[in-house]
Amino acid sequence: MKRVNAVVVGAGAAGGIVAKELSTAGLSVVLLERGKWYTSNDCRKDDLRNQRTTLLGNAFGPEDEGNPRVWVDAKSVLHTAWPSEGDYQNDAACVGGGTLSYGAQAWRYMPQDFRMRSTYGAPAGSSLEDWPISYDDLEPFYEKSEYEIGISGDYSGTPFHGPRRRDLPMPPLPPGREFGILEPAAKRLGLHPFHIPMARNSVPYNGRGPCMRCRWCVGFACEVDAKNGSQNTVIPIALNTGNCELRTECMVKEILTDDRGRARGVSYFDSRGHLQEQLSDLVVVSGCATETARLLLNSKSKLFPQGLGNRFDQVGRNLQGHHYTGAIGYFDIETYDDVGPGATIAISDYNHGTPGLCGGGMLANEFIRLPIHSVDRLPTNTPRWGPGHKQAMRDWHRRTIVIMGPTQQIPTAEGRVTVDPTVRDKWRLPVVRISGNVHPDTFEIGAVQARRAEAWLKEAGAVSTTLMAGKPQVVSAGQHQAGTCRMGDDPKGSVVNRHCQIHDVDNVFVIDSSVHVTNGGFNPALTIMAIAYFASEALVRNWKGTGFRS
Amino acid sequence: MGGVAVAIGCTAHKRGNWDFLGDDEARTLGAICDQIVPADDFPSATQAGVLTYIDRQLVRHYRRHQDVYREGLVQAHAMSMKRFGQELAALSRQQQFEVVSAMEGEESRFFEMVRRHTLEGYYGSPRHGGNRDAVSWRMLGLAEPPLLGRAQYDLRKGSGE
Amino acid sequence: MKRLLKIAALGVGLVALLAIGGIYGASAYYTSQLGKGCANCHEMGEYFSVVHGAPHRNVGCMDCHEASLGTKLRHIRVHLFGRMPEAIRLRDVDVLEMVPNCQKCHQQEYAKWHAGPHSATYSQIFTNPAQNSRQHLMEDCLRCHGMHFDGSVRELVQPQNTQGPWHLLRKGLADQPTIPCQACHQVHREGPLEVRPQRRFSVAGQPVHDSLAYFDRRERIHFAATALTLPTLHDGARLVTISQDPRAAICYQCHAPRQPEAGTLAAANGWGPQVGSGDDRTAMGVHEGLSCFSCHNGHNQNARASCKTCHPQMSHCGIDVEKMDTTFASAKSPHNIHWVKCTDCHQHGIPKKKTAAPVKAQLVQTPGRSG
Repeated sequence: MKRVNAVVVGAGAAGGIVAKELSTAGLSVVLLERGKWYTSNDCRKDDLRNQRTTLLGNAFGPEDEGNPRVWVDAKSVLHTAWPSEGDYQNDAACVGGGTLSYGAQAWRYMPQDFRMRSTYGAPAGSSLEDWPISYDDLEPFYEKSEYEIGISGDYSGTPFHGPRRRDLPMPPLPPGREFGILEPAAKRLGLHPFHIPMARNSVPYNGRGPCMRCRWCVGFACEVDAKNGSQNTVIPIALNTGNCELRTECMVKEILTDDRGRARGVSYFDSRGHLQEQLSDLVVVSGCATETARLLLNSKSKLFPQGLGNRFDQVGRNLQGHHYTGAIGYFDIETYDDVGPGATIAISDYNHGTPGLCGGGMLANEFIRLPIHSVDRLPTNTPRWGPGHKQAMRDWHRRTIVIMGPTQQIPTAEGRVTVDPTVRDKWRLPVVRISGNVHPDTFEIGAVQARRAEAWLKEAGAVSTTLMAGKPQVVSAGQHQAGTCRMGDDPKGSVVNRHCQIHDVDNVFVIDSSVHVTNGGFNPALTIMAIAYFASEALVRNWKGTGFRS
Repeated sequence: MGGVAVAIGCTAHKRGNWDFLGDDEARTLGAICDQIVPADDFPSATQAGVLTYIDRQLVRHYRRHQDVYREGLVQAHAMSMKRFGQELAALSRQQQFEVVSAMEGEESRFFEMVRRHTLEGYYGSPRHGGNRDAVSWRMLGLAEPPLLGRAQYDLRKGSGE
Repeated sequence: MKRLLKIAALGVGLVALLAIGGIYGASAYYTSQLGKGCANCHEMGEYFSVVHGAPHRNVGCMDCHEASLGTKLRHIRVHLFGRMPEAIRLRDVDVLEMVPNCQKCHQQEYAKWHAGPHSATYSQIFTNPAQNSRQHLMEDCLRCHGMHFDGSVRELVQPQNTQGPWHLLRKGLADQPTIPCQACHQVHREGPLEVRPQRRFSVAGQPVHDSLAYFDRRERIHFAATALTLPTLHDGARLVTISQDPRAAICYQCHAPRQPEAGTLAAANGWGPQVGSGDDRTAMGVHEGLSCFSCHNGHNQNARASCKTCHPQMSHCGIDVEKMDTTFASAKSPHNIHWVKCTDCHQHGIPKKKTAAPVKAQLVQTPGRSG
């Protein structure tokens, strides 16, 4: 196989952008993706089998067969989980990754989110840290993401976000009924509601049309291609350069290193299960936090007996996602308008600045719900089955508002990904094992956030409410997973430097949510994209200067 | 001769209406499902095809639950015979309610599973055999299929960047 | 060695015999008793029992469905070794092969459909430069054009851009209709007979034929016209009166309105979906309240001859209603027959003596006769 300049592992939010940036800069790129290139036709809006409701399996990978994982509960008992089960903490495996089927909230983190330790101090037992880069470093790349990927929304209602040079490229979608109910209530409470930024066309943009406002949004691929992910923006550009080859259904086994300790390419199983080698000048790993860590840990060699980049036992640590809490409000008026995407209004008043709490999170109304979602979200006194349950479905499905938000998790070194010593997947590779939890303070913040959501709902006229504030037994990662290859200046306390280059091996890069030091109180997609642009720019700059050729 | 091939095939599958359930089992399971979603102005679970949903999935995505169903249905039948001397499907609605409530009271994994699967079948996508005619969605006032028009725009006229 | 050859020859002979016997035997078996043979395999049973409760009860399976050698072998393979799909359904080729079989009995309906716009072919719809250079091809196109197509739009037409030139990846589809009979008609009802709902759940009220049903690409099943939804539409803030003819609910599935677009007056004011938005062509203005079927024939959509069923040949204004400009293709035309208002012509007020024109008297529907 022909040697190329760069192998990019994973065609998700970050991998797609890296492939585009490198190939347009003239590098030859092979983009490897373990999943398939799906379209919305492969899911066809199945309420029971999509990427969010996975009762009958994942629509966009990985499939259950042959892809187990292990997780360790609070009592150190080991469990095996399949990809369609919640404990697996899945992120989609396909071209586009999570961005094919995500809800498409496209948030900028706040300036404080990059300086959590300086702002709050590290709680005992936590591994809270500052990022080595600041919001200002990333701002131009946030902007680039917003314009290249295509974001609609309007931040003008909130004073809490960092400075920006340009407005979002598209106006928000016309607000739905829930917006009309929640906005005045938030203002009465002295809050600052505004339109959620979304990677979704509200008007024709980038050659594709606007959202058709259907009921099937988060968890589904968009039939009118109004939802912007890497699969319909940057990856087609990369492929059109002629410099980038996308290979799907290719599972990377390990990063190959030479006897001088530099990477020389990757070995992978192709779609037929044959082991292949792709040699390259540099390797970029963009497999999302859990799978990226697994690949590095599985890339063991004489020089790297603990796995690549793992000299100081840092790979896999500080795993974090978001601790979702909130409240359900039941109303005596119809709140449901059957107009997608449903999630329209947010507040970021509570992300920072609450005395005694180490951070917080954004609160927003939930995406448009399907009937199956209401089945277990009825008022607490509802019978679980029988005529009462059926009547409650009729009473409440259209009269409910859910407000929740991603509480920023305080990371710990024990919340981590390792590779399981015994369980193997269908390629006979050691699988991910997830263990440990977030810092207990996270649950405290989450509980406060839930009560705030409840207060907002009550102000909006909810006749009753239910709090949603659980305490998961294991660190919650899922689609927002981050943190396993922390970015930092100190090689002993991090895995990559500020340009996402592994400390140990100068031609291996980790560019995805793994490098997040902390994960903000927002959906991470836009930050993943901004970092991909940021790191790619440095990579291309260095390539043109000294080069990485061995 | 042609019949031979087909006849061989028929032995490879269980004859009858169901992929997994026996007719007796289907009657018992149907009675439980109809307790979970009974008929009122809108159809019951079985009227909406929930048995088809569960039966299809028990040889597909829910293969791993086959044993729970087999054993659970035996126990449900036994419980019904012990209490009322008849099979569950033959009991009155009130008697069925008592049996099913007792199953729930025992924190039976089988009952919890049937409850979940019944609600999935009834409120999920019609393509899987339950929620026939999307009747539960229309019960909730949801248009199915929804009316979604096409956007009118012309890329050549400079809309978008 | 010789022995081995003998056994081999015997084996080949036996296989050949089995195959030939199987094929012809299967044919006879399939066609016996109007297709009861097909139903003997339990997979097919429920479909057989359903169609034989329907108006086509005296039609055999093979009268509508083709069963070529390949199909038979496929059936046998799936039956013996294959993984059964959740529900047996027709592939796109099966649906298209049925069209001439429908035609055999329904000659007039076929002729009308063939003469009308709904018989547009895959090449007409998907390789049309005027359309493809204006908008990107997308999955959602297939919802109304090619709803039976097995695959995604990128497996149908390439390149997926606005530059072209475009070509179909499956050449055989070029002259095939994107909206075949099965798009609006169902012959079978899916599901075993015993769990068939006892009654129809109509949200629209009036009964229409079961066979009038919309094929939903997403679920890959038909929804009966009575089960479909009629929209709620606004003209500005005003609620528009819409005919409750349930047959029109099928038309609305594709000729559907949109939620107000970003930046429009309707969006800013929170008015509902606007009449005439998207592909909606609901009658308003002077024709408000009329069903699609008041003017259009269901099979060829021809409306030219329909004006004079209500209007005198020469209108009050002296215009021949058969020949007047009734531009329908442009939504912006003031003459668009779907929403022409009295004031569009009578800009200085409507003459008093003509306000009570006897139009409303003709609004009676005959929904029992589905198109």
